[in-house]
Amino acid sequence: MIALIRTLLRKELLDASRDKRSVMAGLYYAIGTPVLMCLLFAVLLQQLSSNDELYIRIDNVDAGPALVQYLANRDILHGDESKARAIRLSLADNFEQQMQQGRPATVILDADHSDDRLLSSIRRIERALGHYNSEVAQLRLMARGIDPALMQPVDVQIHDQATPDSRGGMFLGIATLTIILTLFYAAMNLAIDTSAGERERNSLTLLLSQPLLSWQLVVAKVLAITSFSMLGLVVILVVSKFAYGLVPWEQLGFTIRLNADFMLFTLLIGMPLALLSASLQVLVSFMAKSFKEAQTYVTMVLFIPLTLSMVTTYNIASDYVQWLPIAAQQQAMIEYLKGSALPLPQLLVSTLLTLLLFVLFSYGSSRLLKSEKVVFGL
Amino acid sequence: MRYSSSLSRLSKLSTMAALLLSASAIAEPLSGARSAMLEPCHAKGLSDRMLCGRINQPVSTDNDGSDQGSIGIHFAVLPAIKPVYPNEAVLAFAGGPGQSAFDVAASFAHSLRYARETRDIVLVDQRGTGRSGLLQCDAMDLVTQFALDESSIDMSELIRSEMKACQQQLQVDLQHYTTQAAASDFEAVRLALGYQKLHLYGGSYGTRMAQEYMRQYPQAVLSATLDGVVAFQQSFAAMGLASDASLAALYRDCEASPACSKTFPEASQQLQQLITQLEQAPIHTVVRHPRTFERIELTLTRSKLQQALRFGLYSNSTRALIPLAVEKASQGDYSALVGLMLAQDMVTDLSIGVNTAVVCVEDWPFWTEENRAYYSDSYLGREWMAAVDSICPIWQLTPAAADFLQPLSTEIPVLLLSGALDPVTPPEGAELAMTRMRHAKHLIAPEATHIVASQSRCAPKLISQFIAEQSVEALDGSCLEQPLRQSFLTNANGIAMPTAPASIQHQNQE
Repeated sequence: MIALIRTLLRKELLDASRDKRSVMAGLYYAIGTPVLMCLLFAVLLQQLSSNDELYIRIDNVDAGPALVQYLANRDILHGDESKARAIRLSLADNFEQQMQQGRPATVILDADHSDDRLLSSIRRIERALGHYNSEVAQLRLMARGIDPALMQPVDVQIHDQATPDSRGGMFLGIATLTIILTLFYAAMNLAIDTSAGERERNSLTLLLSQPLLSWQLVVAKVLAITSFSMLGLVVILVVSKFAYGLVPWEQLGFTIRLNADFMLFTLLIGMPLALLSASLQVLVSFMAKSFKEAQTYVTMVLFIPLTLSMVTTYNIASDYVQWLPIAAQQQAMIEYLKGSALPLPQLLVSTLLTLLLFVLFSYGSSRLLKSEKVVFGL
Repeated sequence: MRYSSSLSRLSKLSTMAALLLSASAIAEPLSGARSAMLEPCHAKGLSDRMLCGRINQPVSTDNDGSDQGSIGIHFAVLPAIKPVYPNEAVLAFAGGPGQSAFDVAASFAHSLRYARETRDIVLVDQRGTGRSGLLQCDAMDLVTQFALDESSIDMSELIRSEMKACQQQLQVDLQHYTTQAAASDFEAVRLALGYQKLHLYGGSYGTRMAQEYMRQYPQAVLSATLDGVVAFQQSFAAMGLASDASLAALYRDCEASPACSKTFPEASQQLQQLITQLEQAPIHTVVRHPRTFERIELTLTRSKLQQALRFGLYSNSTRALIPLAVEKASQGDYSALVGLMLAQDMVTDLSIGVNTAVVCVEDWPFWTEENRAYYSDSYLGREWMAAVDSICPIWQLTPAAADFLQPLSTEIPVLLLSGALDPVTPPEGAELAMTRMRHAKHLIAPEATHIVASQSRCAPKLISQFIAEQSVEALDGSCLEQPLRQSFLTNANGIAMPTAPASIQHQNQE
């Protein structure tokens, strides 16, 4: 029986590898996505990091030259319309007067806080103004012979337990999302081709007329698809390792490192998912009447893994979702990258669920192949 | 090597055991003992998690076979954000002598923030400081200090008796706490952490420690940044003259500033008058305690005034207060001067043991009549030398070999940074230090005071660039010319109005 399945598997692999275009199409995702993400991240980082000179509009500069110089020392400078960001800092006319009398001197920080691209710059200006406030206040107290430390009754010391590996947040989610979805996208073409395609080429009937059981055929197909999606997984891991290594994460104070340990870990927990992905897509393809219909259904069905992965990425998964296939595996990948404890119970349950679904879907497909309606696409 | 990666790997290893993946983790050699000795820790004012550890070093560093026990050297690693160079680290040396590097971790993290993007920062508490067996004695409390009349009592006798009490309390042989003795501890930490090469960053006295490390272990160093340089050839007594020069520059700035010269037209004469007056007789007065607000006695002596000014000169922010404080004091209001005296608080955490060891072994023995006379030109220099003359004979330490005073001769690329307004380590020190450095560049920030990297926004970038290139050739110091001086306070709230006050007053009434 093993020999039979091996023969079937060899036939499926040979079939699949002959259609180089469709194999490559599956791998394009694995190669292209990390590169695309890498470019996207680089652009995003540029907006998020705010290390360089920041040009804004400063109105009434003459009213408080000391403050303007203080900001300039922190690379917050007055720029003209073309250069400046849409942030306006206006000093009150009586700024210096108020300062000298020891009354609060007003500055207006005018910007659209819903504009995400401005937020880090706004925060930076607020921080700088806060520092200026405390520096002037300290000097005022010292001029009166009072220890400025009195202004700080409670000395709050923040002990952050995060590490540079664990601060990635959403970026870690997106990176793992693209990796886990490979298992589905790399399998798609092949799954449709080997089921709906085979039926359309009329070779399915020929196969079924051989002395073999329908489940053996299904298992061989699923294994063939699985090996290709695992190949996709290897490719995306390798490409991601190099692509993400090029992104200057360190400017935001964290890093994303995909080391060999992580890759092996991902391959291990990805294997059951690959089986699930292949059996699911084969089942859906057989259920469809034609090749084109199969393409539509499979695309629709792929929204399920996408959704599960999304809720994990944006950290909005409820407690139940964390036990489900894909969500649990992706969470485990994120925790692994962060270097924190793995959610082992969830991972175990979801792996068992994943394998159970694989068995169910494969069984479903083999049941379908017993029906003439399905085999002839009637 | 990779204490960071190996540590994170270790934690993963334990969680991964169930998944049988440990085989891959063993691929890279990992000393269990080394990882085990590091544990997460936090320093004051720095939220980032560091990894701390301790190694035992013999107290006695000379090979005479005598066993004097061991000393625990505490160190901390601030992990690189993206460890691109796991075999290299930046080793930062604190000042003093006697400051703990761990205590000022936040300041190092700020100055070395760009360097940290790709390399670990290592902070070692020099033996006798901070967590490496701090040699500290009880200091005088503020109330006693304020009331003390230095002019009427025999100061050298007071210093002697305090020092003898301290000696009783510490019960150590200070001979083992010098710059030369400490260098091997830094090397031992490097080896324990498995770094192949180091980049050094030293501030103030830390520059001398860094130079000594380069002298003893040149093969371990790729580059060195010296910020606020202390040359081997120069005595610490030179700081008196440096302080005077920095104060003179401040009064020149006041004269050049329209607001300051208008408010304090007689500024420098006022200071001279006050000094002359205090020279004749100290002023006995009552001030508010800066924290408790109780009325306490203040005996204002020349010594107190000059010390307050000296520490006030360290930062551009307190410099802005000096002309106002002096004018108020000469008018009989001492509040602002009390405010300046608070700046001295920063010396309280210094290790008196290390400070004494360094001065009495590596400085005091080499004073000649000639340089004594030279440094005596400054009041602070005279006062300091008198104190050292009282302290050092008590400890009876063996002087360092005379070649200690030789400038460091090295091929290692060195970046020297100086603030032109620095009241302790002015640019001249760097010029002396670099005479035999063959790949060195000295950059001066014209408006910076002590320690350029903590003030200038561009110095941290320059340091990172220097570390990356390991060459001073391409460094462009023009960005150090940014303005850092602050406007002088002309009243207790802020600066005088640069525009005509009348018109604004008018506007205000509307």
